Amino acid sequence: MSSPTKLACHECDQVVIIPALSDGQKAICPRCGFVFTRYFKKARSRLLAFSSSSLVFLLLSFVFPFLIFTTQGNEKVISLVQGLQSMGSGTYLSVVLFMLATTVLVPVMTLTGINYTLISAKLDKPLPFTRHILKLVFLLQPWNMAEIFLLGILVSMIKIASLGDVQFGWSFYSFVLYIISMAATRVFLDKYQVWQWFRHHDKRAYSYER
Amino acid sequence: MSAKGVKSDAQLIEPLSQDNVASSNKIVTCAMCYQSSDHQQSECPYCGTVLHVRKKNSLQNTVALLVTSIVLYVPANIYPIMYTTSIGDEIASTIVGGVITLWEQQFYPIALIIFVASVMVPVAKILALSWLVYSVQSNRIISRKNNQVMFRITEFIGRWSMVDVFAVTILVALIERGNLMKVMPGVALIAFAAMVVTTMLAAFSFESRLIWDNPDKNKGKNTNV
Repeated sequence: MSSPTKLACHECDQVVIIPALSDGQKAICPRCGFVFTRYFKKARSRLLAFSSSSLVFLLLSFVFPFLIFTTQGNEKVISLVQGLQSMGSGTYLSVVLFMLATTVLVPVMTLTGINYTLISAKLDKPLPFTRHILKLVFLLQPWNMAEIFLLGILVSMIKIASLGDVQFGWSFYSFVLYIISMAATRVFLDKYQVWQWFRHHDKRAYSYER
Repeated sequence: MSAKGVKSDAQLIEPLSQDNVASSNKIVTCAMCYQSSDHQQSECPYCGTVLHVRKKNSLQNTVALLVTSIVLYVPANIYPIMYTTSIGDEIASTIVGGVITLWEQQFYPIALIIFVASVMVPVAKILALSWLVYSVQSNRIISRKNNQVMFRITEFIGRWSMVDVFAVTILVALIERGNLMKVMPGVALIAFAAMVVTTMLAAFSFESRLIWDNPDKNKGKNTNV
């Protein structure tokens, strides 16, 4: 990397210079312990591998039955979106919409955004709106609650275990795989590194060095 | 360079001190893309994010959202979160009631998860944020670093309170509104979900750099680090 840039810690404002890091090393603020970045070799390819597989697993989990619930001979097959829909009437629409947004919409948008930016980073000239999409990806991150949804499913399973028989459908397993690959995606989705890829395209804007 | 996975400190320019913070160096670093620019810039020249040397009205916003969440916490615990009807009997259960039922049915780990996520975490979050606001406002600092760690945990853990909300929503979707059995959501569901969202927003609007800002009152003791 070129001449070192002064950075202010996001959490405590300490001014630091990020040194060259080796594989797996973290740069930590000496004052408050904030993790600026964690460097991984080939982070871009690893990120592409995990984010594209997450997207595939997530999309697959919309297609098949999610849960199969049997009581007194009545079998009810529920898919992810349909299950959210069936509650969508009346006063509780807000909660359903919130759940729909945080477990379906935000993950789909985030993952599509990551894959878009990764393709964009491979090209000589970034695709249109890359920066906006990247910003959106990072802004939406705390609102991705898919893993909490999974825990919610397990809790509700146990609550009705006495009432009937619950079986997991293909979508459920796909969703579990999505959670796992999303966790891996998060490890490699490093704000500092990701923005750095685009700095090379645009040296003009990256001029503040003292 | 050290071995894989070893933590490395970002290289320091100057010794750690109150003087070597960004505001006195006249730089501001974009929280989105890590671009440093002059502290008078209002927008990041690289990604266009609005820059703040300190978030405006951070404490007021945090307090307002905290009060909202405390207000919402009351109906969330008083009113039932769901009604279960089976063969004519309607049972209303509150959040705490649900935990007790699970405990009585000997689902100990799940009862514990729900108890931690929907009872302990919200209270702990509200207390932690209140303490942080008080600590910054009155400059009563025990340990800046502990405050920072407390804030980081608060920010991270907030989302997990949604577990119970999601569980109830899934239950309602799962059980058909048949004659024999039905599950209906209660008012507390909305109140609790809103409370979780407001505490999350309260954490996001808190400016953590304020934890480190005020000069030391008790001289001689280095509370800066």
